[in-house]
Amino acid sequence: MSDDLIPTEYCHHDFYPGFNPSQMDSAFKCARLDVFKPEDGELFWPLDFHYQRGFVPLGYLVVADGPLWGTQIAADAIPLPPSRGLQARMVGPHLYASEIPITDPWEIEQRAIKASQNIPAFLGNFSEIWAERVAELETWLHHMESAEPMGKSLSEIGEFFEKSVRLIRRAWEIHFEIMYPLVANYVGFYGLCTELNLEPGEIGRFLQGYDTKIMETDRELWGLTRRVRELGLEDLFAVTAAQDIATELASAGADAATFLTELDDFLQIYGRRSEGIIDLASPPWIDDPTSPLGTIKTFLLMDKDHDFDQANVEVVAEREEAISSARSRLTVEDREQFDAGLGACQAANFNWWNEEHNFYIDLRAHLPLRRASAALATAVGADSEDDGLFLFGPEARSLARGDSSWSDIAGLVGERRDFYNDWRAKRSEMPKMLGSVPDEVTDPVMKEIFGMGEHFFAALSGSSSEILKGVPAAMGSAEGPARVLFSPEDLHTILPGEILVCEATSPNWTPAFAKIAACVCDSGGTLTHASIVSREYRIPCVTGLAVATARISTGDRLLVNGTTGEVTLLDEIG
Amino acid sequence: MNQIEWLENLSLEDVSVAGPKMAKLGDLRAAGVTVPAGFTVTSAAYIEAVSDTPVAARIDELLADVAAADQPEMGKLAAAAREMICATALSPSLIEAIGQAYQSLSLRFGADSLPTAVRSSATGEDAADASFAGQFDSYLGVTGHAEVVDAVLSCWASLFTERAVTYRAGKGIRHHDCPMAVGVLELIDARASGVAFSVHPVTGRSDRIVIEGSWGWGEAIVQGLVTPDRVEVGKSDGRILDYVVADKTVMSTFDSEGGRVFETDVPDELKGARALSDAEVLAISEAVVLIEDHFGHPVDVEWVAGPASEEESRITIVQARPETVHGADGAVTPPQWNPAGYAMKYAFGNKVK
Repeated sequence: MSDDLIPTEYCHHDFYPGFNPSQMDSAFKCARLDVFKPEDGELFWPLDFHYQRGFVPLGYLVVADGPLWGTQIAADAIPLPPSRGLQARMVGPHLYASEIPITDPWEIEQRAIKASQNIPAFLGNFSEIWAERVAELETWLHHMESAEPMGKSLSEIGEFFEKSVRLIRRAWEIHFEIMYPLVANYVGFYGLCTELNLEPGEIGRFLQGYDTKIMETDRELWGLTRRVRELGLEDLFAVTAAQDIATELASAGADAATFLTELDDFLQIYGRRSEGIIDLASPPWIDDPTSPLGTIKTFLLMDKDHDFDQANVEVVAEREEAISSARSRLTVEDREQFDAGLGACQAANFNWWNEEHNFYIDLRAHLPLRRASAALATAVGADSEDDGLFLFGPEARSLARGDSSWSDIAGLVGERRDFYNDWRAKRSEMPKMLGSVPDEVTDPVMKEIFGMGEHFFAALSGSSSEILKGVPAAMGSAEGPARVLFSPEDLHTILPGEILVCEATSPNWTPAFAKIAACVCDSGGTLTHASIVSREYRIPCVTGLAVATARISTGDRLLVNGTTGEVTLLDEIG
Repeated sequence: MNQIEWLENLSLEDVSVAGPKMAKLGDLRAAGVTVPAGFTVTSAAYIEAVSDTPVAARIDELLADVAAADQPEMGKLAAAAREMICATALSPSLIEAIGQAYQSLSLRFGADSLPTAVRSSATGEDAADASFAGQFDSYLGVTGHAEVVDAVLSCWASLFTERAVTYRAGKGIRHHDCPMAVGVLELIDARASGVAFSVHPVTGRSDRIVIEGSWGWGEAIVQGLVTPDRVEVGKSDGRILDYVVADKTVMSTFDSEGGRVFETDVPDELKGARALSDAEVLAISEAVVLIEDHFGHPVDVEWVAGPASEEESRITIVQARPETVHGADGAVTPPQWNPAGYAMKYAFGNKVK
């Protein structure tokens, strides 16, 4: 039996004080969010790199009603032949995820037949479907973002709270309704390319260079950086700590006021994003602009601006060159197949969508719930708006209904804050995976986005040498000092020329890519965020190293070869 | 029956006269393929000079009990038979006919005495069998009338190598059943040579031609002494898909004094250089397509590129065989994109077919 594959303390550990996980009232289609049970050892549970800061109590409502709900709904709607989506286990605030496998061959076959009918129909209408979904999301988001729950009655706050949860569910249904077929399509095209003997390194290039909302945000940040120079505010940025820049600007005269107005215009459009995916605990830029201002502060340290237009020209030229070089090596017959596959992926481009959607969903759709919790905390007389984040769903709902009062629960909030902070500090020591290493991972999101392929299992077992081997995700090579980051809130502190070493990156990390010399990740494959963004920024990237954050310390000198997938520790400081 | 037949007059119907080796070359030539120029001293000449004379009777007598002989004994008997052949006095008319043909061949190349390859082309039921055909001798660089006549006699004599005698004894074939024809062909001074396949030799894909080639004569390639350049060509449009230049360290070259092929180091400046120009690749590809169409099934060929004037040289096909691994319809199914099929094949693990 595989009992010992899950550490005993994770099955019986003290959860957040004062809450029994079995009372979690989130929606689920076929597997609830839970804590580990000994029998879970039969499955494979990687530590979910998307949530490096971990979850505050109310955050668990978001992951359950968001990504977990979304994968389970989409996995049965498409349907995915061997998987019913993702399930997850909580260890303190940290999340381990696993696919929900289907093992019966007959059922897999039936689902494959249905999926074979549904996927082409979906892909054929992708642009219309996505345009409809964006319109739906924008309507929802605009409605929720323009409403103000603060100061409303408890029952009104309760309604806003439930609507926020429904927005999260709907956003994440859309997320995986789209993501699964797009990934499957890209992976199929990738398979075709390997049959055609094309190099794995060049396949990723075929679909790069299409502008996204996230790229647009980064470009605007550089625009603001130029404005700082034009308005003569560099010195203020240079001598002021990131978190104090906004306050300093407010009392620094007319030019600073002009800048603040422009910053506000920027935040109105691009500021509704949190620092982490579905991270309720981090304030959006529009509420706390420390992150964009800190990023501008470090952009000012660079010798020259990141030239987005030039980079895009180069990325597009590289794409066209890669495509024409590949086509030149194909027979007339094979070229027809390649063109058809490439056309299908261009029309439903995963690489593009994987950035684009974050603007609407991953960084944004949970923010109304954050505001609901703040309004609730205020309405019930909590000391701080943040206290609402430390309530579990049933507790928040009970307060909103008036079934309980703040005094019943106020004492737990402080304990839960300490619990959250204690466990967050342990992030770097958390096992990268629990349970049994499987023969194969079949859920395409688990496999391609989490990067749980053969290379990952190989990397786990061969980790002692000075050369780490991972997935060559973006070509080129670079040398520089390592900066190991476990949390995105330190992102704006990265210095130009450093090599970012992390579990994985998320969309909110992109501004850093203009500064770093290379990117190195524990998780991921060629389709993960870091891979795609590195190609757009033309820096080398290696993913799926499994143990990079454990093996490398900040200050170590690294040589990153994104063409071979090797990371060499030239000099170990740590 | 003529004692001499020019290649341009031969077809597959002439196997009994010219042997399959020469008949096939004649057939390729008729199909428009460039093959070496030359003529055949037909099996009729052999029959007139050997089979219908007392020489054959004496050989029959000598070899009467050969099936029962042990190996050293058989070697001696075979050597004695070869001596009898070589000592045969040819008729003046045959000597003259060979002389005239040789002169005519030489003049085609503007030569007084053209260096030739004199090759055995045995006839008979087993002649198409490669292991049978390989038992007989060939002579390279044969130059001059008398030398050609001697080489023809030597080829005849090679009908009685120990190996050939043993083979026939084992199968109960009489030497009368396989009279020897001999090809006299222009000797191509190979600048480069190699093989080519009308389907991919590993994957069986029939939409491409694969060419392998290296400097000099083909022996070093055939014996695997050198890694040749490897070229893939699209069959429908003749476009070079991939040209992998190999590090070619050894080449076979020809010693005209000794009349033999030997291995030598490739000069440094040629080791990493392309052995074939684009035009040569195209010429080989066109020949391969022509031969495949002519045969109606996949083929592999041996080709030789002659001395180059500019960067282009004449491509000559010296041999063509049916491709046996993938055959006419054994080729793999080519990739055929469809989004559902490929998603099922690659995106959901091995449990989904």
